[in-house]
Amino acid sequence: MSDLGRILVVEDDPRDVDLTLTALDEYKLANEVVVARDGTEALDYLYCREKFASRPKENPAVILLDLKLPKVNGLEVLQAIRSDERLKMIPVVVLTSSHEERDMMASYKLGVNAYVVKPVDFHEFVNAVKELGMFWAVINQPPPGSAKKVL
Amino acid sequence: MAYWDSEFQRVRSPLLRYGLAVVSVAISTAAALLIQEYQFRDVELPVIVLVIGLVTWYAGTGPAVVAVLLSSLTFNYFFAEPLYTFYVSTRDIPYFLIFVLSAVVVASFSAVRRRIEENLRHARDRLQDELEWRQQRDAEIRKLNHELTLRAAELVAANKELESFAYSVSHDLRAPLRHLVGYSELLQKHASGSLDDKGQKYLQTILEAAKRMGNLIDDLLAFSRIGRVESRTSDVDLQQLVKEVASEVGQQAKERKISWKIGALPACHGDPSLLRLVVVNLVSNAVKFTGTRSLAAIEIGAVNGNADKIEIFVRDNGVGFEMQYVDKLFGVFQRLHRADEFEGTGIGLATVHRIIHRHGGTVRAEAALDRGATFYFTLPKAVNPAEMKARQP
Repeated sequence: MSDLGRILVVEDDPRDVDLTLTALDEYKLANEVVVARDGTEALDYLYCREKFASRPKENPAVILLDLKLPKVNGLEVLQAIRSDERLKMIPVVVLTSSHEERDMMASYKLGVNAYVVKPVDFHEFVNAVKELGMFWAVINQPPPGSAKKVL
Repeated sequence: MAYWDSEFQRVRSPLLRYGLAVVSVAISTAAALLIQEYQFRDVELPVIVLVIGLVTWYAGTGPAVVAVLLSSLTFNYFFAEPLYTFYVSTRDIPYFLIFVLSAVVVASFSAVRRRIEENLRHARDRLQDELEWRQQRDAEIRKLNHELTLRAAELVAANKELESFAYSVSHDLRAPLRHLVGYSELLQKHASGSLDDKGQKYLQTILEAAKRMGNLIDDLLAFSRIGRVESRTSDVDLQQLVKEVASEVGQQAKERKISWKIGALPACHGDPSLLRLVVVNLVSNAVKFTGTRSLAAIEIGAVNGNADKIEIFVRDNGVGFEMQYVDKLFGVFQRLHRADEFEGTGIGLATVHRIIHRHGGTVRAEAALDRGATFYFTLPKAVNPAEMKARQP
């Protein structure tokens, strides 16, 4: 547990962002979180353009991706990531309210690394997000070129 | 068609028909006389017979008889010795008779031909009528088909709408609920010191209500999914299925004393995962509603005597219900017990009802208050039970 990977949270609902950050904070993972509020912003971040033009060119260690997003939706973001040579290795976790099989199927077909349904129960939600953050930002070895902070 | 019509159309007016007979005989006689004038011999008889044939053909039997009579007179007068009298000598009688006979034979042949053609024409008309009728029917069928296609398209659209409705319920209804629960929990954590017991209890109630709503939404979504998923049917070993479910459900109620009795169950045909849901719901209900009994007795068996379907029952000795409410039993979110008596959202039997109906079966219940309940459902028979047994390990 020497380094901490950067987490990109793509989520349009401010309350969900708030709850997610609260959950990540329990493991002190919140500092390295970048929040994109829709699909376009997420792609802007990944391609270092618009307001992210000056950021260091490293990929996040993991992307927590909501599916229902304004403008460009989660599946479209996922497709863009997987069809880009520079981005395709980034681990992507879909974190969604949707229980629907077709969303799950579509996500896995596009090559998602994990599919997590946001639990209604707060404890479960917090646990799920904490575990996700812990696993992908700390335990997992991200592909080379990912942003990491040495602890 | 036009050729057929002109060829075989009988001349209609009687005046014309008889006129035709008279005129034809006159012309034929004149022609025969003319031919004789040029020294051709014995032509008169064939010419007259030919004309009689033509008259029969176009004018029918009556004019033919007239033509025969007239031509025999003219023949007698112009061609039979002694000429130019109607006197018939004894020697000419056979000749004359043969003439009349041959004329009659030709006439009757023509008449028969005519009759056959009439029949053919009738048959053709009938065929034409039938053809028209069929064309009409075809047009009607095409119209109905078209309407059916439209209707199917409407249904598909309605189904799509329902699906997107369920989809947005799944997405959008759960998010605020999650926030409700999440922030209530955060509040509980942050403000537990400043809240008195009453405040704590209110917060707890908010949380429980929100969780309950979450369960309702999940149940409703699962219920709507039954109608939307494609079913994969095969022969199902009900005996095996019921045994598995009973031991699963029994595991969850280990502290309870339950006597299970599972009779011989026939194989059926259906979607195994949906049928499992049916059995799980009914058996769980039986366990739940016998909760007040010191010894619960649950029996699952088959009803004999149904030829084309199999009928299964699940019987318990639980609290039962009053039969007057039996119609409400299978409705969505319908409950016959208060929430503090027996927990549940009221979707279980609606699910059972829906799945059994999807399999073309029926569900019914018999019960008496405090004297247990029995649920019956029918299912299609297994298509090939022997093969199913063979597949089992």
